[in-house]
Amino acid sequence: MKPKVAFFDFAGCEGDQLQVANLEENLLDLLGQVEVVSFREVMKEHSDNYDIAFVEGSCTRLQDEDRLKQIRKNAKLVVAIGSCAAIGGINSLKNYKDLDQVKKTVYGEHAALFDSYSARPIDAIIPVDAYVYGCPIDREDFLQVVKSLLLGKKPETPTYPVCVECKKNENVCAFERGQFCVGPVTRAGCNSCCVNEGTICWGCRGLIDNPNENSQKEVLIKNGLTVDDAIGKFRLYFGWQEAKR
Amino acid sequence: MKIISKEDFQSFVNALIQEDSWNVIGVKSRGNKFAFAPLDSADELHLDYDVTLLPPKKYFFPQRETLFTYDISNGFSAKNPEETKPMIIIGVHPYDIIALLHMDEIFRETKSDSFYFKKRESSIIIGVNIQKMSKYNFSSYMGCATVDYGYDLMITDLGNRYAINVGSQKGEDLLSKYAKNVTLALARDVQTAGQKKRGIMNQSEQEFKFPPELIPELLKDSYVKSGFWEKHSEKCLACGSCVLVCPTCYCFDVKDNPDLSLEHGERIRTWDGCLLEDFAKIASGENFRATRPTRYRHRYFKKGKYLFDRFGFVSCVGCGRCSSNCLPDIANPVNLFNDMYQESQNAGAQFATSIQPDVNIKTEGNIDYVPKLATIIKKVPMTASETLFEVKLEDGVELGHKPGQFVEVSIFGIGEAPISISSSPTKKETFELCVRKLGNVTTKLHKLNVGDRIGIRGPFGNGFDAESLKGKDLLFVAGGLGIAPLRSLFNYVLDNRKDYGKVFLLYGCKEPKEILFGEELLSLASREDVEFKSAVNWCPENETWTGSIGVITTLIPQVSFDPEKTIAVLCGPPVMYKFVIADLKGRNVPDDHIIMSLERRMKCGVGKCGHCQINHIYVCKDGPVFNYSKIKGVPEAL
Repeated sequence: MKPKVAFFDFAGCEGDQLQVANLEENLLDLLGQVEVVSFREVMKEHSDNYDIAFVEGSCTRLQDEDRLKQIRKNAKLVVAIGSCAAIGGINSLKNYKDLDQVKKTVYGEHAALFDSYSARPIDAIIPVDAYVYGCPIDREDFLQVVKSLLLGKKPETPTYPVCVECKKNENVCAFERGQFCVGPVTRAGCNSCCVNEGTICWGCRGLIDNPNENSQKEVLIKNGLTVDDAIGKFRLYFGWQEAKR
Repeated sequence: MKIISKEDFQSFVNALIQEDSWNVIGVKSRGNKFAFAPLDSADELHLDYDVTLLPPKKYFFPQRETLFTYDISNGFSAKNPEETKPMIIIGVHPYDIIALLHMDEIFRETKSDSFYFKKRESSIIIGVNIQKMSKYNFSSYMGCATVDYGYDLMITDLGNRYAINVGSQKGEDLLSKYAKNVTLALARDVQTAGQKKRGIMNQSEQEFKFPPELIPELLKDSYVKSGFWEKHSEKCLACGSCVLVCPTCYCFDVKDNPDLSLEHGERIRTWDGCLLEDFAKIASGENFRATRPTRYRHRYFKKGKYLFDRFGFVSCVGCGRCSSNCLPDIANPVNLFNDMYQESQNAGAQFATSIQPDVNIKTEGNIDYVPKLATIIKKVPMTASETLFEVKLEDGVELGHKPGQFVEVSIFGIGEAPISISSSPTKKETFELCVRKLGNVTTKLHKLNVGDRIGIRGPFGNGFDAESLKGKDLLFVAGGLGIAPLRSLFNYVLDNRKDYGKVFLLYGCKEPKEILFGEELLSLASREDVEFKSAVNWCPENETWTGSIGVITTLIPQVSFDPEKTIAVLCGPPVMYKFVIADLKGRNVPDDHIIMSLERRMKCGVGKCGHCQINHIYVCKDGPVFNYSKIKGVPEAL
């Protein structure tokens, strides 16, 4: 019997689910292996009977915790997809600002009507079995994780940084192009897609397990960034991880 | 030497590109840098480049390469990938040519790597002498700024024409078939070319403060230099850039890539690097080079000492790619070795030139990455996490292993894992694997049943020399799963009991429920020709235990043996060796009477991929069985 899968979203842009919906030529093959029972972005039907839950978005309100716990209860495997769910993501930028001010900026005069607390990845609330990193996730990487889970294998998530893939792809280093990149401390698995296109690594897959953060910040500053800008580079995606370290 | 005008050389290259039977590759610009890439026209060629991002190695040992494809939908089948087109690579600098010569020897040693050599042998190298040296290049110090061997054609720029040195018949044929207006060089051309070559030698901006021939000797005493490696690697990002761009690095990883059918897929090898965090980590979670300084040091030792001792060359050609790719600027070998030399000088050390080792590269056949198919014919659960599998090769051929050897077990789609063979070679037709559920392969293996098929490569490694142990008393010391490889020798000895003296078996594990081969061990109690002792670290209250309580070393005082006549055979978790060896030494057992089987991340099985390396030793082929006297001075061993 095909495993039943469901997709859920929390605070996020739903861009990761869009990547899944856009799997193109691989979509039919994937549907040959799993039965999708809930996926708000592409279908009306919903069922609470599922084996694998893919969760997008970070947890930014107390009341979201119950929903996450319910998903954990229903599912055999919970997979965090995308930066927000996996590492807190860009939402965690607000954790470095005054919460009332943040609410006022977003909701204006209605700020008092909305709940909010500091953004966090879903594993701050529930145990997570696998992660698909990225903002948005890389479709090939998503399929690799799914195939691993279907084969009963722990996904081989890289512990090395993006530089490894960048070098294999023979890119000219972003620093050599006068740009600033956090690839040396960011978890690989994206095939260095942004640098391949001539831009930089923003760090969307989060810090590697043991990053040399001081050295990386020194590199940024040595190449011309201000201290504040270097800190900003790290906060964009690493905000939650850095606060935890 | 021959001469061709630049115009005619362009036509020559274009004529080569027109041919369909090969791919023509050359140095092209990439951003403000250069890279080897397929040529569409001779106009794209930049023979005056300084250095390419990656070395031409990528065409013989690609970043990602399919070792074979598999199909498990209809029984099992695995097949080798199709052949690739020959290549003509234009514009290779001398240091990169010498780097390929290094790779040739490394990929030829012990077992030849046919994937590498198929591409290498069918290719044509058209070299070019350096016209502009990159800022970090120190190839002249390494003897690699010019080269007289290793190319099919070698070009030197003489202004409006090229001088061409012919290095092979293939090069000669290429020239005579595709190039027009090639003339013999005149004396002035030979002289100018010589001057150009010599001019290169003085262009390096890097400076060695001592003769680089001393590097192996210098490294010898610097392994434990206090704080040296920590200081130099403090800023290391462990990003692996230095090793990934290196023309002589060859470490790789092997993994499976199933397609979405989950039934077909490919086994691939990809570049790996010893600077990366998990490089020496095994499934149990033990990481044998866990810190950045240890990995950073390993890179320098591998290049400057280990490969020198094995092959007689310092495995660095001075291309400077590592230096230019290191963002914190700590990878420049010139700086590191100058510092090391300076510190040694300050300490008053004297260096003699490194002694050239005897190099004798032996090749016994090719590496076969395609496993043999085998069937699980018996599955005996032993503990909650260990199971004994009896396996039979499908081709009916015996495995033919020695005690102490290991096999690589494949489950297609999951991967490959090294497993020691638990059965004695005296057991014919089938063999046994005692497997702990730890990583992906072993976890999946536990879900398989009798009749299911797996892949087997091997046997690998040296194994125990059962012959040389004849007539000796044997003291087996096994900790936990360490009983698995020892059992192959132990049972062999029992099956040839009269050839050996007294036999002791000391076995320890954490608690009674973790005991492996329990019934077999119980039956030893009734044998008079074996003295068996066992211990557990603790025994829960609701269980009974009649043996000793404590770690394995509590058993050593319980047996009486003659240290001169006894060989101790050890296997257990890494933490065990230190303590057992200390106790054996306390009982006056000589160093060379202690042999042991070590565990590392054996991936390729033939001394290539680098994962199982303990300093200069490849556990997969030099081990896994070692005599203590040979490895006691090897810092990473115990």
